Amino acid sequence: MNKVLCPLALAAALALPSLSLAHSPIFDCSDNGDGTISCEGGFSDGSSASGVAIHVQDASGKVLEELKLDKNSEITFKKPAGDYKVMFDAGAGHQVTKAGKDIVQ
Amino acid sequence: MKKTLAALVGVGLLAFSGPASAHFMMTYTPETVLEKAKDIEMRIVFTHPAEAGHTMDMGGVKEFYAIHKRGDSEAKKIDLKGTLKEITWKNPESSNKAYAAQIAKKDIKSMGDYMFVMVPGYYLEKEEDTYMQQITKLLVNVGGIPGNWNEPAGLPCEIVPMAKPYGLWTGNVFQGQVLSEGKPVANAEIEVEYMSHKPDLKKNGLAKKCDINYPNDVLVTQTIVTDEKGVFAFGLPRAGWWGFAALGVGPEKQHEGKEMSQDAVIWVQAVDMK
Repeated sequence: MNKVLCPLALAAALALPSLSLAHSPIFDCSDNGDGTISCEGGFSDGSSASGVAIHVQDASGKVLEELKLDKNSEITFKKPAGDYKVMFDAGAGHQVTKAGKDIVQ
Repeated sequence: MKKTLAALVGVGLLAFSGPASAHFMMTYTPETVLEKAKDIEMRIVFTHPAEAGHTMDMGGVKEFYAIHKRGDSEAKKIDLKGTLKEITWKNPESSNKAYAAQIAKKDIKSMGDYMFVMVPGYYLEKEEDTYMQQITKLLVNVGGIPGNWNEPAGLPCEIVPMAKPYGLWTGNVFQGQVLSEGKPVANAEIEVEYMSHKPDLKKNGLAKKCDINYPNDVLVTQTIVTDEKGVFAFGLPRAGWWGFAALGVGPEKQHEGKEMSQDAVIWVQAVDMK
């Protein structure tokens, strides 16, 4: 139930962005092939994602690492062992999650 | 005899078709919006894209690079001259030296805008005994985050878009500003052409088939001028590629003792609203 509600809520939040935040979050990660993962974020209007919180979580949702995007809206971290996901968290309605299995070279 | 005659007629036709269509430096890649980075093919050709006409020797490539910017992060220059390979570009009735480049996924891995800049050598227009150099820009976006699409590249002359050149619907108005050494050029003459013959990157040529039935030469190459702020506007009536060339706006007016037209070119891609 939770699983169904959550994407719905997220979809609703994305579909109805508030006027003051009429931009959408964009986030992508890639595997550097050397045991590290690099991610970069931003917004559709080009505004900076510097300082945005990045949560690295395991399959159960347990937080493995809490990071922040640097001044260029980028971050590199050690690839977690096993299943993982990375969440770009710029507040309600501005969250994007990438599953580890989709993060490739 | 027949062959000679045919060739002569051919030359005659080509010579007469001169004024009808414009010389256009093409920097071409099939897609200007990429959801994700991938290897992309580029071609650099000096031709007449509205009529798949005469193809010219651009005099080599002096510079070929991209300026990458994601959001308001720092802009980075990526030199791509080393990716160029000389090819022969074959239009139905004309062929000449041109260049192919394969841009590797790793070079455009980061999201944002990639402003491709190509500075060719000098082309001698023998009939007029003048040189031409068309400095050409093309913008490609990766991942949807905008960057430097509306920033000058700092070229001797250039067209700075005022609408995302990779984000245009058919029917949109494309506005741009013509700059020479960073300053707006009032009353600049701009030639506009539609790429009415589709490029074939496998054969390295423009298709024989023309997608447009031109009623007259005036409509093959349209001409517009900039206002006092160097700004022009053009409604895009059809999906596909549109080239804009601001003529003679660059600071270099002579080359090797001959007159020269240093032009600024930009290509934009319009997409149908379906």
